[in-house]
Order: sequence, then structure tokens, then C-alpha cells
Amino acid sequence: MTQTKQTLKQENPNAGLSAIVTRFFKSEKLGLLLALLLIILVFQALTGGKYLSQANLINIMIAMAVVGLVTIGESFLLITGKVDLSPGSVAAFSGVLAAILLNQGLSMYLVIPIVMLLGMGIGALNAFLVNKLKLEAFIATLATMSIFRGMAYIICGGKAVFLNDKSFLTFGAGRLFGIPIPVIIFVIIFAFFMVVLSRTRFGRNVYMIGGNAVASRLTGINSNKLLLKLFMMTSALAALGGCIMSARMSSGQPMSSEGLEFDAVTAAVLGGVAMGGGIGSLGGALIGLFIMQGFNNGLMMLNVPSFWQTVSRGLLLIAALSFDFLRNRRSKLK
Amino acid sequence: MEDIPTGKGGLIDFKALNRQAQEIIDEFKLPFKSTARARDLSVAYQQMIEIMKAYRRKPKIIAFDEPTASLSDAEIETLFGIIHSLKQKGIIILYVSHRMKEIFQITDEVVVLKDGKFVEHLRTAETDEHAIIRRMVGRDLGDIFNNLSRNDKKGDVVLEVRHLIADNVKDVSFTLRAGEVLGFAGLVGAGRTETMRAIFGADALKSGEVWLKGEAVRVQYPEDAIRLGLALCPEDRKDQGIVARQSVKNNISMAILPSLVRHGLIDKKAEAEVANKGKRDLNIRTPDIDKRLGELSGGNQQKTILARWLASRPAVLILDEPTKGIDVGSKSEIYQIICDLSKQQIGVIVISSELTEIMGVCDRILVMCEGRITGEISREDATEHTILTYAMADMLGGRQQ
Repeated sequence: MTQTKQTLKQENPNAGLSAIVTRFFKSEKLGLLLALLLIILVFQALTGGKYLSQANLINIMIAMAVVGLVTIGESFLLITGKVDLSPGSVAAFSGVLAAILLNQGLSMYLVIPIVMLLGMGIGALNAFLVNKLKLEAFIATLATMSIFRGMAYIICGGKAVFLNDKSFLTFGAGRLFGIPIPVIIFVIIFAFFMVVLSRTRFGRNVYMIGGNAVASRLTGINSNKLLLKLFMMTSALAALGGCIMSARMSSGQPMSSEGLEFDAVTAAVLGGVAMGGGIGSLGGALIGLFIMQGFNNGLMMLNVPSFWQTVSRGLLLIAALSFDFLRNRRSKLK
Repeated sequence: MEDIPTGKGGLIDFKALNRQAQEIIDEFKLPFKSTARARDLSVAYQQMIEIMKAYRRKPKIIAFDEPTASLSDAEIETLFGIIHSLKQKGIIILYVSHRMKEIFQITDEVVVLKDGKFVEHLRTAETDEHAIIRRMVGRDLGDIFNNLSRNDKKGDVVLEVRHLIADNVKDVSFTLRAGEVLGFAGLVGAGRTETMRAIFGADALKSGEVWLKGEAVRVQYPEDAIRLGLALCPEDRKDQGIVARQSVKNNISMAILPSLVRHGLIDKKAEAEVANKGKRDLNIRTPDIDKRLGELSGGNQQKTILARWLASRPAVLILDEPTKGIDVGSKSEIYQIICDLSKQQIGVIVISSELTEIMGVCDRILVMCEGRITGEISREDATEHTILTYAMADMLGGRQQ
């Protein structure tokens, strides 16, 4: 044991602080952090210092919480080479269902788990379509996206379901130590899944299947089981996001969360998660989330019309990806 | 055949396009029409199309990188005919191959590279196979086999297969002893890979029994096989073996990851130890274990896959074409590794289409043909002639065991 420790040290001579510094500069996240810094500096200047105020930072975090939850699931799926298009619909369906159940007098401590379990069921359906019927994830979840958007309208008859359950509204708008509860929920769940992806066997297998599914199977990794868990996890997180949405809007809105999945995929891809599979990290995805939401928020503060915000989000994505492409090409030439 | 493009201002003139394409096809004396779809043609003809595409641009040099890897013998002849006619037209041909026979068939001069360095520039007519191999390894292949330090202590039967039937496998039975190196020879498509995949749980096993260390086992998935002490290095290293974008370390720890988990998390120290041990034991040439496996040479990738399976301490290790597409230097290392493993009383199965390799490394050779075992030969009695006779048993009038 001691002998191996010594050899390890020998093979890694610049351990310690200098290694951390070099690793940081070689890290793929450096470019992302610089981009984020640039965005912060520009908006800070343009808004005359209001951008980095505590109130606005909390605004950014609140906006990030729901899309952030879905980004966790999408990042895992993208790394395995799959994608889920249904979270927006699942969130809307879950949000409306939660509102209906709460209005029946059920406690939120019962409603949220029920809705999340149902979400897992929808995830299991997605996984069934992909694993057993061998549909492309893109197509399978395109279908369930449509199905559950429709279901969201059907269960409420197309009208928003208004809420007055006090404790549930606190769940959306309340604060703990000055931090909004949705943000706390997001941070805890995000930290948990960061450890799962980077430190557990489950997380490692996500990378392995994304890198080479055939080799993974021949090494005893069961990709069907893993995909089942990932789709269930993504839909459950979307369902939780839907509950938070309803709580924040004091109503279950069937048309809400439209395009939530695209925002989540955008954030993940901005953060360096490759669509081809096998590459990316939740740390990167978090920076991607900050870039996306920070950018949106900045434009909002500058009173840029929301239609132009949508346009600029597309431009941001193109800019980020071309930057990444150029950087990769340069490092390949080396 | 519209893969040969010619734009004609705005619209495509399909008539002219087809005519021009047909002219080139005729020039190469190939037997298909310009209107045929490329995907309906054989791999060889698809490759010819690539060559014609290159030829259309009137190049001075055409480079071929292992062009015969997926071609049959007849198709190779066609390809060589084309290369010959390109030569006649004054085009310079650069031809990269690890197949000695081809080098002597079609080249005029040979450049030998080793470990990324220039070794020697030779005239083909003035040299021979042994001379080239000696420059590639520093030694003769024959010497390599003669100098292998083999295991002479065989143990009990570790694997027994009885009447195995699977896709392309019709009734295969054999036994493997601990510490034995058992070769599987045969032509491509004889059912060797399919036999091993069925044993390993990668493909469905239709009927038959697998006995491991004296017990009948049921292997449904690869994870069952791994748990029972089987390991399989697949034939297609790139598509089925390596995870190119992951580090050497992660590739080595892959099969034993469950045993490296402490309190739900991967024990990084233990994982690095396993990977460094693999790197040392198998002499994997990489600056560190965090390097992406895809950046290493084929030989080092194969050694990494071997390290992956050795870490799982298998009772039986199945190697499917372990030296395919690997430089001669790494080849000789892998031969010695195989012998070392047999000394550790691992039962090793080697599938190989290279007869010299199978005769040089294995203690005993089974020959398969059409999904059946048609012959068994010990190393002492093995000749290319006897192996090929068994391998072509079906064509030679059903000469059975």
C-alpha cells in the first residue's frame, strides 16, 4: 500500500497547488467562466451596477431553479447520447395535477410525492419506448411531449386551476435565511447529482455508455436499466419543477413551461455537454445555466423586448458553440 | 452512382453526369453501371468508387491506408489491378499496410517506420519479409515464438462447453484446462466469434451447456459471465472494446468498478492503484493513466483492454483476434503476455486468423468450419496445411473429426 502511494507521487510530481492551477487553466471550463465573467461585466456596466445587487442575483437564481432541475436530467441523458423532449409537458401536467389535488384538500406533503411518482411513471414510459420498442429517444419523447401537454389541458378543461393552499404558496415564494425555498431545493438536488455523476459507479456508467454502448455492454454495464433510471429521474425532476412553477404562479397553468426542455438542453450544451454523448459535467452545465439565465436577466433589466430575448438566446448558443469548436480545433492541431 | 458529382450551373445535368461517371468506370474496367446505388455494391466496389472520386481530381499522389482490411481475397485482386493501372498512368502510390504479403505484391520501395520514427528505406526487390520484420521489431517473428517462455503446468479442466448451439454455431463441444492456451482457427465466418459471444452471454445461446470449474452455469448477460470469472476481449477493438474518449484509468477499472465502490462512491485511490498496476504489468506506453485512451496506439489500446480484464482476475480469458491491426512490436509483447497469463493458471482462448500466430502461441488448436469443430491439433503437429484442410472441410468433402 505504502509502496503504491510512493509510485503515485512519483508519477505525479507537480501535485498540490500548482497542479490545481495548471488543471484550472487547461480545464474546458475556463472559456466558459471567461464568457460568464464577460457577461457579468458588460451588464454590470450597462445597468449602472444594479446587475450584481443581491436582489437581482436572487432573481437570477429563482429563474434558474426550475430549468436547472431539468438541466440535471438532460445533462445525464445527453452524456449517454440520449435526450428527453417531454419535461416541459411533464412539468405543466404535474403542476396542474398538483393544483387539482391540493384543491381537493390533500396536503402538499402528500401531493408533491404523488406527482413526482407519477413523473417517474412517465419516465418509465419514455424508457419503455426507447429500450423495448427501440424508438429514437428524440422521437419517443416528442410523442410523450405531445401526449402530456394534451393531458395537462384535459385534466383542467383548458382553464388555469387557481390555488390558495397557504403552505404550498410558501413552498414557491417563501424564504429561508433570505434565500428563496425553490433555490434551496435546487442547490441541494444539484449538489447531490453532481456527486452522483462524478463520483459514483452510476455516474461513471453514464459516461461509459455515452462513450461506447457496445463496449459497455460487453463489460457488464446494463444500459437499459441505466436509461430507465435516467428517464425516471428526469421526469421526476420535471414534475418537481412543475410543482414549483404552480406554487410560484399560485395556479396550475396548462400552457406553462413550454420549451422548458430546450432551455435545459441549451444550458447543458452551453456548459460543454456534447450532444454526441460521453462528454460533459454538471459543473459545466451549472456555468451554462448561469450564462443563459444571466444573459436573459441582463436583457430584461435593459428592457429588451422578450421576443428579442428569445432571438439573442439562439445567437448566444451559436456563439458559445463556435467558440468551443475553434478552441477544440486549436488544441487538436497541437 | 451519383456519388461522383459534377455541378452544371444551377441544375445538375444527370445525363452528362452519368456519362462522365460511366467513362471513369469503364476506364477502370469495373462491371457496374453508373446508375447503381453505392450502398448496393460490395465493400470492394465502394472502395473503388472512393478511388475513382480521388482519381477524377487528377491527383499526382494517392495514399492508401490499410485498404484491404475489409476485403476478401478476390476483391483484393481487383483492388491491386486498379492500383497497378493507376501506377501505369504515372500516379505515385503511397500504400500503408501491416500485411507483408501485400507489400511484396505491389510495392517497388518500402519505408519502415517504428514508434513514429523512420527506420529504413528499402527497395522491395532487394529485401524479404524477414528483413523487414527484423527492422520493425528488431527480431524475427520465428525467433519471437521460439523465445516465448511458455507454461508447462496445466491444471484441471476449467471450462467445458457441451453441444453449444447459437446463431451460426451448430453443435460445438470442447474443454479448456487451467493454464492452457487454446487456439481457435478457421476461415472468417466459421462461427468462432459467435461461439465465444454465446458463451459470454453477449448473444443468445439456443441450447447447450457451459460448465465452469466443474459446475454448470447459466450465462444470460455479459455481467453474469464476468461475475463467474469469464472475460472476453472482442475482435473489433475500436467499436466493441475501448471507450476512446475516456481515460486509460477509467477503461482499465471498467469491469471491476463494483468492487472499487466504498460507501457508495468510487474509491479514487484504489482505482488509480489498479490502473497503475495494469500500466506497469502490461507495459502500456502512456505518460499517465489520465490520458484519453483514443490517443494511444492500437497496440497500447489493446494492452489497456487486456489490463481491464486482468484486473477482474478471470478464470478464463477469451481473446478474439488479439493482434489485429497492431504493430509487430506490440504483437510480440502480447504473445508473451498470453503465455504469462497461462502461467498464472488462467485458461486462455485465442481466436486468430493468422496461422503463424495461432501455431506459435497456442498449446492446442481447434479448427472450426461452418459452425462446427472439424479438427483438433497439438502445437507439435500443427502445420498450415493441416489447419487449412480442417478449416475448409466443407469444400474438401466433409472430412470430419
